[in-house]
Amino acid sequence: MALVNENTRLALVIGSGSVKCAAALGLMKVLERENIGVNLVVGCSGGALYAASIALGWPVETSIDKTLSLWTRRVTEKRSRKAVLQIILPGLFHFDENFGLIDDSRLNRQLYGAFGEASFADTHIPLHIAATDFFDGEQVVLSSGLIWEAIRASLSIPYVFPPYRVAGRALIDGYQSDPLPVGIAIKEGIDIILAMGFESPYQERITSLMRYNFQISSVTSNNLLKTNFAFHNLAHHSEIIPILPEFTQRIHLFDTEKIPYIIDEGEKAAEQALPYLKRLLGATGVSG
Amino acid sequence: MGQSRKRVALVIGSGGIKCAAAIGMWRVLQAENIPIDSIVGCSGGSLYAALIAKNIGWQELETLSRSLWTNDIMQGYTENLKASKDGSLRYNERSGLVNDAVMNRNLQQIYGELSFSDLTIPLTIVATDLLLGEKVLLSEGSVFDAIRASLAIPIIFPPWEVNGRLLIDGAVSDPLPIDVAIQNGADIIIAMGFTMSYRQRLRSMTAVQEQVNSIYMNNLLSSTYAFFNLAHHAEIFPIVPEFDEPLTMFDTQKIPQIAESGMQATQEQLPHIRRLLASSQ
Amino acid sequence: MEISDRQINGITVIALAGSIDALTAPAIAESINGIISRGEINLVADFHGIDYTSSAGLRVLLGAVKETRSRGGDLRLAAVQLDVMKVLKLSGFTNILKLYDDVDSALASFS
Repeated sequence: MALVNENTRLALVIGSGSVKCAAALGLMKVLERENIGVNLVVGCSGGALYAASIALGWPVETSIDKTLSLWTRRVTEKRSRKAVLQIILPGLFHFDENFGLIDDSRLNRQLYGAFGEASFADTHIPLHIAATDFFDGEQVVLSSGLIWEAIRASLSIPYVFPPYRVAGRALIDGYQSDPLPVGIAIKEGIDIILAMGFESPYQERITSLMRYNFQISSVTSNNLLKTNFAFHNLAHHSEIIPILPEFTQRIHLFDTEKIPYIIDEGEKAAEQALPYLKRLLGATGVSG
Repeated sequence: MGQSRKRVALVIGSGGIKCAAAIGMWRVLQAENIPIDSIVGCSGGSLYAALIAKNIGWQELETLSRSLWTNDIMQGYTENLKASKDGSLRYNERSGLVNDAVMNRNLQQIYGELSFSDLTIPLTIVATDLLLGEKVLLSEGSVFDAIRASLAIPIIFPPWEVNGRLLIDGAVSDPLPIDVAIQNGADIIIAMGFTMSYRQRLRSMTAVQEQVNSIYMNNLLSSTYAFFNLAHHAEIFPIVPEFDEPLTMFDTQKIPQIAESGMQATQEQLPHIRRLLASSQ
Repeated sequence: MEISDRQINGITVIALAGSIDALTAPAIAESINGIISRGEINLVADFHGIDYTSSAGLRVLLGAVKETRSRGGDLRLAAVQLDVMKVLKLSGFTNILKLYDDVDSALASFS
């Protein structure tokens, strides 16, 4: 039976990677140019932001503008006064699972400012966003309701932001259960998966407890990323094509000025995978 | 196609004090005369993997367990934690919140001069390179060094340097390293692993940290296990003992019950293991 | 995709050139299965000519590894190129397969 036919479905999965996920816009440029249609977009953490903008059909320029205004240091500047008290006197100040060091009102405002009332139903391409349940550790797939809220949930870095409640569940960052949620596309019966994932950077030097913590966090999430990817590779019936942009410069959490460079690298990585993708899609001229 | 006896590997994964369940597992395997051709240990599991590789009896395993987890093993933790919160703690890649003098002394008393080449059954211990994030396999030299590295819980215990690499807990890269057994050519793999329990209520920063850690560990465990299941040509028998209540490393008085859980979980898999060993395919 | 095989000291060296992917996988599987069914279960795959491997390609490879191992043999890889090595690492294959810098070392590993 032919691998590819007119029913072949293709998905784009954008894993966690903060501002590096903008590389997905470069990939989309290539796909659009080649008239290769996408049937599903899946995003996790920072990838959710770009997955949403792609699914909503925003032109690349709009996505760039909105990300530049949304994702700045200001979203993590304001500390939660309550949180500071809760760390010192947890009993008295009712420390609970809603703890987060940073006051998330700014982040919420920015996300709403970018996505407004847009819901999953409004997307041009079906969209799924991955988060993690804080109490049972399971991956939670968000595919209905308001997009900004799903992104907020997927971006809920533990300790930093309070978990976000959706349908009664306390949700945290998707990357805690799977940094590159290819499984979501597999479950939807997708045949060809373009998987764009990013490794968390390692510390250059460990000079403080905070940096040590970041190092451990990177080590653990990178191992989880690889292991999940390995499993899905074997378990999938069809094809997973990893699109892995390489960055020669270090890209920090809020380096939005590097977005044009990041998009270029995404385009380059996409061009590398293109010949095989085209061969795979073959003479049937499949365009989703 | 005929071949000689199937090669059996034992893998004991990370699980803190729950790894004492390996005492019960070893009791069953010894009683049943199941030959073990290789052993892999990770984190808490490496303690038992090394002792089993010496082929000692299960009762001695239990005695030695108690001598490891002494009350003073966490010395320095509270003071250093406080210092970390008020900014007076100096920390670098070789630091740990606990002063490891007690841990090192306890481990030396048990493993002393033991080297990998002294062991009856070939052993591999898994650790993680702190700076590169990769899994590191240790199968030569001092067993104490390997176990000390594999037990280096991040942040809590200082990393341990082996052959110029700064090593920490193996669980951070792979809590149940079945691939080592696959690579070594095992046909049947008996893998004892542990899941971490989740908290229902999160009432402190430590609780949040533990919860986040548990979420990560459990997800890593299930995806590595799933991968190895697909990748292995033969059989993997998971032995995952269940515990009614959360256990901390200070619950040394519960070691007999933990060993009992391990025994039960192993007995459940025993008929299947025996059948496969007896068959010729 | 070109596949050829030769025997050296009782070990079959399979030389592959081109890409191992969803399109070439069926032919590769057929070829390797043919070799295994001849009773040749100690195999070295010479990857020097392989410039690309995809997930579908990896599954074919793994199928052959499992089949040979279950018969008491093994499939080992030699001379894997850098780009392909990246994919093998990402897919966890370097943890479960034996890899060697060249065919000679791979052959020697069987003794």
